[in-house]
Amino acid sequence: MKAWSKLVVILAAVVLVVGVSATARAADPIVIGAPLSTGFLYGWDAEKAIKLAVEEINAAGGVDVGGEKRPFTVEVIDTRDLEPGVPVSEALLAVEKLILEKEADFLVGGPVRSEAALAAMPLVSKYKKVSIVTTGVLTPKFHAMVAENYDKYKYSFRIHGEAKQLVTEIVTQLMDIKEQFKLDKIFIMAQDVAHARGAGEILKKVIEPKGWNVTGFEVFPTGTGDFSMGLIKAKKTEAQVLSIWMDMPESSILLKQWFDMKIPALPFGSTLAAAEQPGFWEATEGKGEYCMANVVNAGNAPSDATEWTMKFYNAYEKKWGIAPEGLGSSSSYMAVYVLKDAIERAGTLDSDKVVAELEKTDVMGVYGRLRFDPKSHQVIPSLDPEKGAVGSIFQWQNKQRVVVFPKSIAKGELKLPPWMK
Amino acid sequence: MDIVIYGLINSVALALTALGFALVYGISRVPNFAHGALYVVCGFITWIFLRRLELPYPLCIALAIIITAIIGGLIYQFVLIRIRGMSISEIIASYAIGLAILEGFRWGGFKGMTYTLPVFVEGSVTIFDIPVDWHRILVVLIGAAVVGGLWLFTHYTRIGLALRGMAQDERAALMLGIDSDVMAVVAMAFGSALAGLAALLLLPLGNIVVETGYNVLLLAIAVCIVGGLGSWVGAVLASFLIGFAQILTTVYWGTHFQMVVALLAIILTLIIRPSGLFGRQKELEERV
Repeated sequence: MKAWSKLVVILAAVVLVVGVSATARAADPIVIGAPLSTGFLYGWDAEKAIKLAVEEINAAGGVDVGGEKRPFTVEVIDTRDLEPGVPVSEALLAVEKLILEKEADFLVGGPVRSEAALAAMPLVSKYKKVSIVTTGVLTPKFHAMVAENYDKYKYSFRIHGEAKQLVTEIVTQLMDIKEQFKLDKIFIMAQDVAHARGAGEILKKVIEPKGWNVTGFEVFPTGTGDFSMGLIKAKKTEAQVLSIWMDMPESSILLKQWFDMKIPALPFGSTLAAAEQPGFWEATEGKGEYCMANVVNAGNAPSDATEWTMKFYNAYEKKWGIAPEGLGSSSSYMAVYVLKDAIERAGTLDSDKVVAELEKTDVMGVYGRLRFDPKSHQVIPSLDPEKGAVGSIFQWQNKQRVVVFPKSIAKGELKLPPWMK
Repeated sequence: MDIVIYGLINSVALALTALGFALVYGISRVPNFAHGALYVVCGFITWIFLRRLELPYPLCIALAIIITAIIGGLIYQFVLIRIRGMSISEIIASYAIGLAILEGFRWGGFKGMTYTLPVFVEGSVTIFDIPVDWHRILVVLIGAAVVGGLWLFTHYTRIGLALRGMAQDERAALMLGIDSDVMAVVAMAFGSALAGLAALLLLPLGNIVVETGYNVLLLAIAVCIVGGLGSWVGAVLASFLIGFAQILTTVYWGTHFQMVVALLAIILTLIIRPSGLFGRQKELEERV
């Protein structure tokens, strides 16, 4: 009897241990590594959006991986790649640390700066980690690299609009401005970073044959705190539109100076981080009124692009006490949902299988129908949310960010500042 | 005309930025690499008083400058005084303090472009067809008043004369009963207050960001090296030299190269005239 009772105790212990470990395994979270430049808008807005999506998904039961419900967990490391003077290697170290130390199953977010994101692509391939960039990275080279060398870079995806798409939207909007207000002189002001210089050059090439006169192209070093001479140049050349490509926080100074100097040109920003934020009005004491900004995707400013747009917008505001702040908000949020969807269809965390399922993604998200080009892994854009990922250009009007482009989701009409009339 | 107007504004802004650094070095021979951090500190203190505590703007300004001066004095009294005379240690210690302050702000959530101060006077005026806002004109006037006031202070007040005595010959000053340590603390506090004043004049034109601290330090060093370390007159003249060179570069070469001017000025000065424009004492030492 004694031997029997011992055996029963041992068996019970074994059952208990196995049971506990099975339970633990069932609760094993799926680790999302988020390499983001958290000190800057395009880093912290993405971090907040990713955490919001993860919280929602976990609250709804988590991710179904082959019949097993598992929660998401997020590990964020600051890549510092938006800080002036910080080498790209810092961002690569952050990515590698997420993979090796934090044991990230997937990467969502950055690196944010194009240069750093391109440099991280071989690293992501080396470790065969699926990476969805969601913020900042605008260079067309990102998806071109995937298309040119699919087998090597197939783990990299981009779920937000890129520079060429941005330029297409901006050109379309500029042609509307030309027709509506009879303006045809533009002055380009770009920050001295790859995507801004590149996009400015592309814009110049595209709009000149369309009847726009580019009266100047000025490049400003990162950290510039005085734009008065650039603005005077714009005024002297009789520019009527200022095309601004800057993501540094100091760009709000440019808008204040533009107002104080009453420069008769409509400011039209792209990746203009300062103007994207809801706090811009207060920060410029209303001097930024009439400033336009392209926020890459819908949902980063209030609109009714899809049924999900305002649900996301309001949920973000409720959780963080501030409305979606920058161009990385809605795309970072959707990346988590798209990843969840792909994992569930794959039924496994295996990277190759998840890649195959991500390529089949077709969901109606916050900023329209989301699909990836299967060859380049770039989200397919459109001016119609029913057909693809839709962009968003807004103008500051009376303390509000009023979406004016594309027409399919516009909430108001474009206005000129009083000193231009 | 735009070159003259904005060259003048830029030069006065540079002079304001650098005067505090020049003053501290001139008197105590301490290169205060926390200068940029103190500039930003004053901005954030004012912002907190104004936006959070909602105190009247003039009171915020006065309190912020006083607090910045006290912080500067404390940095000297508790840290720099112990390593005085050891140049490398002074640079490392003061830079470390500055770094800790600036990155502390970043860590504490003071990031982004939402930290701004209102301009003193709204509106702008057109001078020779060049638009200039009133606040910039005020910066030039106050800057000129500060330089003039500093000259009067150092020539006609007991503390000012004691500071000059220290700057000229510390041992002789000691023999005349001037406490060099006390004067060095006063100089550091005064230099910090000047950094704070510069911040409160210039930050309303933009926003308060941590990165400004590093830029301000770099510009102050450039101005002081070109002007001659320790020379206040040299610092003012160098401000005009670099200030106008920056504007000319912007107009004829491109804004992209504006920051290069300051760095180039440092390199050229160190090659051609290491003592700077007015660094006489250093020049004599070099000859010996």
